[in-house]
Amino acid sequence: MWDFLQNIFNYSLIHATIRASTPILYATLAAVITQQADILNVGIEGIMLTSAFTAVSVSYFTGSWLLAVLAAMLVGLAVAGIIGIAHLKYKGDVFAVGMTVNILALALTRFFLNYIFQTNGSFYSEKIVPIPKIHISIFANNEILDSIFNNYSLFEIIGIALVFSLWYLLYRTIWGLRLRSVGAFPLAAETAGINAFRKKMEVILYSGLIGGLGGAHLSLGYSTMFVENMTNGRGFMGVAAMYFGQANPVIAWLGTLLFGLADSVGSRLQAYGIAPQFILMIPYITTVLILAISLSRKIKKEMMLKSSLRGS
Amino acid sequence: MKEKEFFETLLSLLVSFLIGGIVIVLMGYNPLEVYEQIFRGALIGKFNLGGTLEKFVPLLLTGIAFAVSSKVAVFNVGVEGELYLGAMAAAWIGFAVKGIPSIVHISLALGIAMLVGALWAAVPGVLKAYYKVNEVTTTILLNYVAQYFTSYLVNYPLSAQKGTPQTPNIEVSAKLSSIMPPSRANTGLFIAIAAVIFVYWLIFHTPYGYKIRSVGTNSMYAEYIGVNVKRTMVEGMMLSGALGGLAGAIEVLGVYGYFLDGFSQGIAFDGMLAALIANNNFALTTVLAMFLAILGNGALSMQRYTGIPESLIRTIIATFILLATMKGLFEIKKYRRVTLSGKNNRVEERV
Repeated sequence: MWDFLQNIFNYSLIHATIRASTPILYATLAAVITQQADILNVGIEGIMLTSAFTAVSVSYFTGSWLLAVLAAMLVGLAVAGIIGIAHLKYKGDVFAVGMTVNILALALTRFFLNYIFQTNGSFYSEKIVPIPKIHISIFANNEILDSIFNNYSLFEIIGIALVFSLWYLLYRTIWGLRLRSVGAFPLAAETAGINAFRKKMEVILYSGLIGGLGGAHLSLGYSTMFVENMTNGRGFMGVAAMYFGQANPVIAWLGTLLFGLADSVGSRLQAYGIAPQFILMIPYITTVLILAISLSRKIKKEMMLKSSLRGS
Repeated sequence: MKEKEFFETLLSLLVSFLIGGIVIVLMGYNPLEVYEQIFRGALIGKFNLGGTLEKFVPLLLTGIAFAVSSKVAVFNVGVEGELYLGAMAAAWIGFAVKGIPSIVHISLALGIAMLVGALWAAVPGVLKAYYKVNEVTTTILLNYVAQYFTSYLVNYPLSAQKGTPQTPNIEVSAKLSSIMPPSRANTGLFIAIAAVIFVYWLIFHTPYGYKIRSVGTNSMYAEYIGVNVKRTMVEGMMLSGALGGLAGAIEVLGVYGYFLDGFSQGIAFDGMLAALIANNNFALTTVLAMFLAILGNGALSMQRYTGIPESLIRTIIATFILLATMKGLFEIKKYRRVTLSGKNNRVEERV
């Protein structure tokens, strides 16, 4: 029993968790930044899928991962632009628009996979250049340190840096304050001279850039291939993690680590013939519970405030 | 108002088919032939028509399920999860219960599936009504829980041990008989239509339905006339969940004959989009569900005949839905026209 637990929960789990959580992290940050302006962006899944495809094709044709990442971000921006225009300019329900963009992305990537590469299902080639991994030779001598600190894909590290820079931007700058005011009370923000429309459009576009990075990481860092529907719900996991952290990037990051941990432990359990499904459920159930508890406490608090006012 | 909506939907449809047509021309095919092949492949011949009807049933039920929840101002994105759980419940009743007459067996399976769907939908319903937890989030999250749970059941305790993750076949007495033999269309079609008509009658022609609609349109007014708003919200969600469960049960009892892990692949999301485009209008949702079924089924046969990938048709459908969700898209043009004619009037007055 002890051996078994040691085989599942050992030091290599740290790397595995970060590896599994990073694609979700980008989706989460993309969801966080729009949620701060009170926009529930469920189209991240589609943004990531199209940019993952773009990254693989550009890397295949040019042999440059940097160009591939840039192209992926541009495509992410374009898809986010569609969401922004459809939602903000033409008053489409943001949820419906997001869901449709996901379907559109799935169909478009399947179509181009078939049209450009003449394959179905997945595309892999030696000519796809992946995003480089970071290797620090000081750690290479020690097995444990090597596992924990070495061989991260570049964007796994950038992702963590992005968490804290986004936190700083949102909570410590004027830009962030204005953005959050648009999310909290757009009328008041407008009165204070903030253009809510432009602010909202801006963050949707930013979420496209972040989602584009995430897509590129998914197909060139996390793996080196494109598979139909390879995002596989990660956009929604990102939305879930965003809710886990209630739009705070740092707490949301912890949420993505929980998803990553569940995923890694689940796949290890499966190797032992144990059903992984219950472990995989944990992040979702935890998020629902956190939402329910935090909101019921908020309601209780409000009720207590009310009754104390009546007493005075 | 309704006519305008219909007109806008039709216009979005035409525009997306036009865009699709241009792409088809660029690929070197004749768009008219391609479109004809889609409708031929969806409607002509028993096998094709049956395939379309088979796809229509779950789209209709899940679309109406979403529309019902919208009537109590709750967005039930969890129909997919309810569909999975209902399907699993129906499969379990279907193979575990033996030796009872067919009518009892089918009713039992459908009833339990609807109950399971309703109870599952009640969870986000209660969270929304009593704790104000955003239902879109909880239902999306609970979809995964439902999917993993059925995946566990079908892989471990209820597995048929066949290599593919599926349950044992249901008993013959639980099978819905097919109505167009070579295809998989079945009597579930009539059950679905009956269910939709019943729900329509319930919501639009009974006092209870008035309660439900009043909660959706103006919950403060509903509270004022003595409706228990929170309870009605939960009940509306349960009604919606029951329809989702029914959709899953018909898939198992009529189409598959067993529960297959991950069989749905987003059926409920397609149904939901039909309801969203139709603005939760029951009749229009039905029409759109049929339309999506025709395109979905016809696209497959088109791929077989012309070699154009089916994903192109999915792209056209997605474009159509995207245009249709933009409620303001065609309004703005109209507005311009009105102001122009207004200017003209003024000019005439001056003259």
